[in-house]
Amino acid sequence: MIIINWNFRPFQIAFSCYLLSGIGLISVQSAEIIDFNRQIRPILSNNCLFCHGPDASERKADLRLDTEEGAKQDLGGYQAVSPGNPQKSELFKRITTADPDDHMPPIDSGKTLTQEEIRLIESWIHQGAPWSEAWAYQAPVRHPIPKVRNANWTLNWIDSFILHRLESENLLPSPQADPVTLVRRLSFDLTGLPPLPETVASFIDNPESYEQIVDQFLASSAYGERMAIYWLDLVRFADTVGYHGDQDHNISPYRDYVIDAFNDNMPLDQFTLEQLAGDLLPNATIDQQVASGYNRLLQTSHEGGVQPKEYLAIYAADRVRNISAVWLGGTLGCAQCHDHKFDPYTTRDFYSMAAFFADLDEAQHFKVGTNNLPTRRPPEIKVLSRNDRKILTQYQKQLSLSKTQRVQAIAEGRKAAALNRKINELEKKIETIEAAKRSTMISATVKPRIMRILPRGDWLNESGPIVAPAIPEFLGTISRNEPRADRRDLAEWLTSSDNGIGGLTARVFVNRFWHLFFGIAPARVMDDFGGQGESPVYPKLLDNLAVEFLESDWNVKYLVKQIVLSQTYRQHSLASEDLTERDPENRLYARQSGYRLPAEMIRDNALAVSGLLNPDVGGASVKPYQPPGYYRHLNFPIRNYHHDEDRRQWRRGLYVHWQRQFLHPMLKAFDAPSREECTVARPRSFTPLAALTLLNDPTFLESARVFSERIVRQNLKVFDDALEFAFLRAVSRKPDSIETNLLHDLYKEEMRIYSKDPQAATELAQIGLKKATTEDKSIEVAAWTSVCRAILNMSETTTRY
Amino acid sequence: MSFLNDDIKNQINRRSFLTAGGIGLGSAALMSMLPKVAASGVGATSLQPGNGVPSLPHFPPKVKRVIFLCMAGGPSHLETFDYKPKLAEMHSKPMPESYTKHQPIAQLQGQQLRCQGPMTQFNRYGQGGLMVSDFLPWHAKMADDICVIRSMVTEQINHDPAHTFMNTGTAISGRPSMGSWITYGLGSESRDLPGFVVLTSVGGRNPQPIASRQWSAGFLPSQFQGVEFNSSGDPVHYIKNPSGVSSAQQKKLIGTVHALDRHRNRLLKDPEVSTRIAAYEMAFRMQSSVPELMDISDEPDSIKEMYGAVPGDGSYASNCLLARRLAERGVRFIHLYHRGWDHHGGLVKYMNICSDLTDRPTWALITDLKQRGMLEDTLIIWGGEFGRTPMFQGKGGAGRDHHIKGFSMWMAGGGVRGGQAYGATDELGYHSVKNVVHVRDLHATMLHLLGIDANRFSKPFQGLDMRLTGVEPARVVRDILT
Repeated sequence: MIIINWNFRPFQIAFSCYLLSGIGLISVQSAEIIDFNRQIRPILSNNCLFCHGPDASERKADLRLDTEEGAKQDLGGYQAVSPGNPQKSELFKRITTADPDDHMPPIDSGKTLTQEEIRLIESWIHQGAPWSEAWAYQAPVRHPIPKVRNANWTLNWIDSFILHRLESENLLPSPQADPVTLVRRLSFDLTGLPPLPETVASFIDNPESYEQIVDQFLASSAYGERMAIYWLDLVRFADTVGYHGDQDHNISPYRDYVIDAFNDNMPLDQFTLEQLAGDLLPNATIDQQVASGYNRLLQTSHEGGVQPKEYLAIYAADRVRNISAVWLGGTLGCAQCHDHKFDPYTTRDFYSMAAFFADLDEAQHFKVGTNNLPTRRPPEIKVLSRNDRKILTQYQKQLSLSKTQRVQAIAEGRKAAALNRKINELEKKIETIEAAKRSTMISATVKPRIMRILPRGDWLNESGPIVAPAIPEFLGTISRNEPRADRRDLAEWLTSSDNGIGGLTARVFVNRFWHLFFGIAPARVMDDFGGQGESPVYPKLLDNLAVEFLESDWNVKYLVKQIVLSQTYRQHSLASEDLTERDPENRLYARQSGYRLPAEMIRDNALAVSGLLNPDVGGASVKPYQPPGYYRHLNFPIRNYHHDEDRRQWRRGLYVHWQRQFLHPMLKAFDAPSREECTVARPRSFTPLAALTLLNDPTFLESARVFSERIVRQNLKVFDDALEFAFLRAVSRKPDSIETNLLHDLYKEEMRIYSKDPQAATELAQIGLKKATTEDKSIEVAAWTSVCRAILNMSETTTRY
Repeated sequence: MSFLNDDIKNQINRRSFLTAGGIGLGSAALMSMLPKVAASGVGATSLQPGNGVPSLPHFPPKVKRVIFLCMAGGPSHLETFDYKPKLAEMHSKPMPESYTKHQPIAQLQGQQLRCQGPMTQFNRYGQGGLMVSDFLPWHAKMADDICVIRSMVTEQINHDPAHTFMNTGTAISGRPSMGSWITYGLGSESRDLPGFVVLTSVGGRNPQPIASRQWSAGFLPSQFQGVEFNSSGDPVHYIKNPSGVSSAQQKKLIGTVHALDRHRNRLLKDPEVSTRIAAYEMAFRMQSSVPELMDISDEPDSIKEMYGAVPGDGSYASNCLLARRLAERGVRFIHLYHRGWDHHGGLVKYMNICSDLTDRPTWALITDLKQRGMLEDTLIIWGGEFGRTPMFQGKGGAGRDHHIKGFSMWMAGGGVRGGQAYGATDELGYHSVKNVVHVRDLHATMLHLLGIDANRFSKPFQGLDMRLTGVEPARVVRDILT
């Protein structure tokens, strides 16, 4: 059924030789010890487990090869795997037989083992067929830091793991990146914004200040915004319901919560608990209730004719997929209709996981959901941002003080006019703040729905057994609240290393944080640590990162800092031809990676460079310019998009209204996801639509023009000086003579054109809300706008190296 | 271990070709129009679909391209191609419970279910004697060209998930649509246009929303997503030069950016830069090719009249004419949506409107392709995301609710045996009972005509080899093929 190896075979073999040797699947040498998890398990998973795996309903010949017991059991005088003796192992006989009837995998499965794979199996059996538990289910342990020859290169323990491997592969690490590249990399990685020219200059003057700059970035509120971009992809945060009418729903305070949590460096276990079960915590704070909005982030529908039972089943499955992808790094979602084909998840596990959420009050919207904006998705609360709450408290204190004073004043026969004025003012201020309250969906608990196993996932079939909330059976059992295990217990289990799988969860997350700072993770398939995923390239490093993360009490900033302080992180990203050939994907980290910035950062960068960026943190979503008619396919209600007419226009990309069915074309062109499902890694493309966006989207045109005005205002007489000013802001360095000549040519040509056609210059200046500030120099501004457009379109401007 | 996919192979082939040919950087930019995917794992991927997956097609294709005419909302099979005299007899009588028990029901949940007889007349047309209703007089004229499948079934009863199911083979979001699959597999033959284009029109009952998910590339690289061409405003977002900037200026600016990038890249050696340059070149070409395509004023009046197309009106008729123009220019998958077929009530009135807007242009498209010799290598598919109930619904006059257990679609063009009806529903038009065609069978058949074996066309994602046809066995409906 499942056909893996349909690729052009000779190529694959040829390629395997040089690439796989780079990541661990080294050809079998006579003396080499086979690693079951890395070398054998993937072969069994890809080729055998569909029929001889965990799914009992598909299992053939009552043989299972996903467990040691199954593989080595007595099958009546013989074994599938007879340790030490390939010739007596039925498995080996079957994969090598010439008889097409006996051959495994069956010819019609479309699968075949390569000679290399057969040889690996032979050697493994020969070596006694040692078995080990799947790597992803083994709790991480701290490994000794390996010894390296060139210890001078290392800055911290991370480097020792990397260098040890590179040395064993006869690879040299790359030199450190130049200071400009380093500080730009840090700035984008930690804040999502380009560095200020002052920061760059001070770092060039004092390269020893690297750690201080890291601390400075980690302490900035932009850090929380940057991390939130990733988190919001994982949990599929969006401003609209997703299905059918795709109406707005109220959820923006949840985004504020995520930003605040990262900025406060909230431990990730607490962060988990508050999102899954904030509402169940004793004396739940406002923030914790807001956090529990996590359970409401999924797509919902009140389309006329929806069958509530069907949609409750859809929601349950959606939640299981998300919990499983985000926290387990697993594909429990695959077990909705059948036991998992490759991993030990059962259908019962799927529905038992879903049962944790059966208490959520969520069915109201089938009745009360309206075709208005926003629609109704009770339960909700109305909240102020954390900052507004603080201010409000101050005002309230002042108010009560003033009122007390007034009572005294009156009692003492003094005049209270001044106090009255103050009280009036305070009351008005309080009213204004109160008016800024936003609604947000939260979790609330009701009598749990009965959760049954749905045979083949069919919601109409009510014959399946009832299940209680439980964790996947093969991972143990759970300590629980009475009368039923609840979402708190689930969160506790996910993050406790004593009473749960905290170690495994920690490893799932450190792998992802690494991805954020290298572009590719040690375990590349970040949402599937199961049999069909990929073993990590640096398993011990990953383990140690996980242990370190756990022992730091889930301290995210600490972990991030460890990573970015490493020499590994500081390498340059240029790959020699040899390195490109040996390790095209940079799995070994013998260099840094260069890649296009994420969509939000491309926007933020243009706004920041021009000086337009509005740095406000948090709040309701915003609406940038958008092509007219883009929402014309939406209905119930018909949508009219009005972009913001004030300084909200220039806010960061993570605040942009996230319309699931029609994501803003700029975000979409640069691979931001619709957030219908969990996204652990965005693709990175550069399509013609992306080029058109950078060239012609009003946001980028306005940025170029405002940037141009900024340059012209400097009154620099010499073109070269003005261009230097521009380059220092856009790419943190000075232009060289060739660049200067190219742009000077462009500038002269544009000056010539706009001098002849001043009307065109005026038209160009009118794009965007921001009023032109240098109208007397409109021709010069227009010519510089073209130069700035060229700069904003340069590859370097939108790439993190 | 199959993470080395054909995309990388392309990349390697391309590189070795470049080396062998000793081509300079300018041509390199052009060459990177070929698909280039995930070669570095961390780098940008791009571009315009080129040659597709090298192992495709699996066998000689019958057609080069697909035009999918989606009648969004779900046209009634009972008033188009599936004549049910028994239903007429049973009109207004209770719907026998044996049909509806334990079946999913949409808006009629909890209501008394009554039979609703056909609301129009049927006749036999063409040499094959195909049954066509009076709502579709122009379809009647092309009865010998189309093969009606009267035994379709789907799995989703609400519009949004049903479209997702029809387009991606599953109701779970995030999977590639069929147009993306096909463009990914076969590439595009157009240098100046995307390989997968979407056009929409409205008219009829209050249009149901349609999500851009329906033309999403899902987990396939972004360059395989459908690009929507708009009939009003900019035909493609951001395709127009900014006000105050001429085409010559835009060209000079792009040229400067390229020169800057190439210069800088001597130092940075970023392999993505050539990809990027090619994207800009394509973008610039699109700035003229798309408006040129969308401007149908150069078509002879006789052709415009044949379709009933008025330049710039955004009608289904104009879109049909644009579909032909796109097909001529090598676009691989052309998806038209006409949103107006959700006839819960006022069915006769709205059928008349929908038929007026779509019947003749559909005929014109087929006739026009035929007269240009293009029908033989084009596959046309017509149908909605589901059909409609044999039961009465009365939201503003007699109508019908959503129905997924039996409905009609048709195929025409290369490799399809026209002039016949395939499969059948029961005597009340409820269940498909004979030669049932599931959505995945439709997909398998479409892929087959394109030279693709659906079972061997997959892409690893989340631990599975994902296929358009999903995990259940899909069959090619060979009986409808020539």
